[in-house]
Amino acid sequence: MANTKTDEKLQKIAKDLLESGEVSLIIGYTKGSNSQRMRPLFVTRTEDADKLSFSPNAVQDLAVFLKKAEVKKFGKIGIVVKGCDEKAVNALIQEYQISRDNIKIIGVECNGVIRQNIADKGETNVSESTVYDKCLICEEHIPVLYDFLVESEEPKLVLSGKVKPYSEIARLESMSSEEKNAFWANEFDKCIKCYACRQACPLCYCSRCIVEKNTPQWIDTNSEETGNAQWNLIRAYHLSGRCIGCGECERACPVNIPLMLINEKMAIDVYNMFGYKSGLDINAKPVFGVFSENDFNDFIK
Amino acid sequence: MEDKDLKKENHVDVKVAEAGSYDPRIIAFVCNWCTYSGADLAGTSRMKYSDNVRVIKLPCTGRIDPLFIVEAFKKGAKGVLVSGCHPGDCHYTSGNYHSRRKYATFRDLLGYFGVDLDRVEFSWVSASEGNKWVSVINEFTDKIKSMPGKSTDIFTKK
Repeated sequence: MANTKTDEKLQKIAKDLLESGEVSLIIGYTKGSNSQRMRPLFVTRTEDADKLSFSPNAVQDLAVFLKKAEVKKFGKIGIVVKGCDEKAVNALIQEYQISRDNIKIIGVECNGVIRQNIADKGETNVSESTVYDKCLICEEHIPVLYDFLVESEEPKLVLSGKVKPYSEIARLESMSSEEKNAFWANEFDKCIKCYACRQACPLCYCSRCIVEKNTPQWIDTNSEETGNAQWNLIRAYHLSGRCIGCGECERACPVNIPLMLINEKMAIDVYNMFGYKSGLDINAKPVFGVFSENDFNDFIK
Repeated sequence: MEDKDLKKENHVDVKVAEAGSYDPRIIAFVCNWCTYSGADLAGTSRMKYSDNVRVIKLPCTGRIDPLFIVEAFKKGAKGVLVSGCHPGDCHYTSGNYHSRRKYATFRDLLGYFGVDLDRVEFSWVSASEGNKWVSVINEFTDKIKSMPGKSTDIFTKK
């Protein structure tokens, strides 16, 4: 496949950055082994910059690599990000995991990425029925923060309102406790405790996760009902007010647990209670790092 | 105590509950400075309250990790109470404000996962509120006892 204008712009920015020595590594996308797939690419040499590319198949959130020691050792890093992934970069800066000075953000205007399972069947059209739910509620088609911006050639995503993103959340909320219980018991029963959700998450960066602590062992390591529920609850809770909704956990889950139904529910709750949305402002304090004397008090006797 | 004894004890409550008379175990996580002193006052004043409750003292409500609540459910508790200093009274200045934020969202998450929200309760009880402690515990115990069928959750072993 020939280079598109987007690709050329990306490659030029990357080349300039590497040549001038402003960054020593660029993380971006390149074409995968077939036309429906993109894969991450790590560029350290100028001549490799020609391989950079972007398309509506670039589903991965590359910000996940910023937490890895192998990547951090490069010091100054350039990263190609969509609007949603860029929020993860912001959240990492907010939480002092990376420094704004050490990162060059190459923002790509994105009008939605095609669901991987649909793309694999040959779908190339970006429309409301083919993109992820996160794209339907996306308000950051152009990243909120960037050093370079690459405009999209793709047509804007048209929303008719017929496809309701995360409609399951409302359905679940209207259920009785017993029904919710049965729904989640059934979902978590599938969990095999592979922790792919954690590994794929750009914001799960603890060097020692709570599940790996064994004195005391808070969360059962075997994959059975009670420990599965506990793990999924704590994972969701540790991300509440932080999750930026990239949906990588759900995409990584080998048994298709609808994790975004939990993450999105928490994001809605945090917004309703504290008016906070994660990853929009690098100068904002994380919502659970601060408090207000007038916080929500109704549930306390 | 040996690990084996601990395990045994953890499952006693469940068995009693199954045996007929519903005797639910309730765990109260309280802060050292206000609620524990309040409970102490209730005791030294010879006030009577339900003996279904087991009190676990921690430095501050800010120390009470939501994981503790889940752990209590997992070990068979039918109700969990978290209680600490009134807003503005925290011994560590702001621990209770932070915990209030945490619990507001955590409570929603528990409800979303199908835990009956009548089974978790939060209260502010100061060191001088022995009366309030007694009424909070008694009301909570009555509530839990009145809903034996609604005590399922996905954290307890079936």
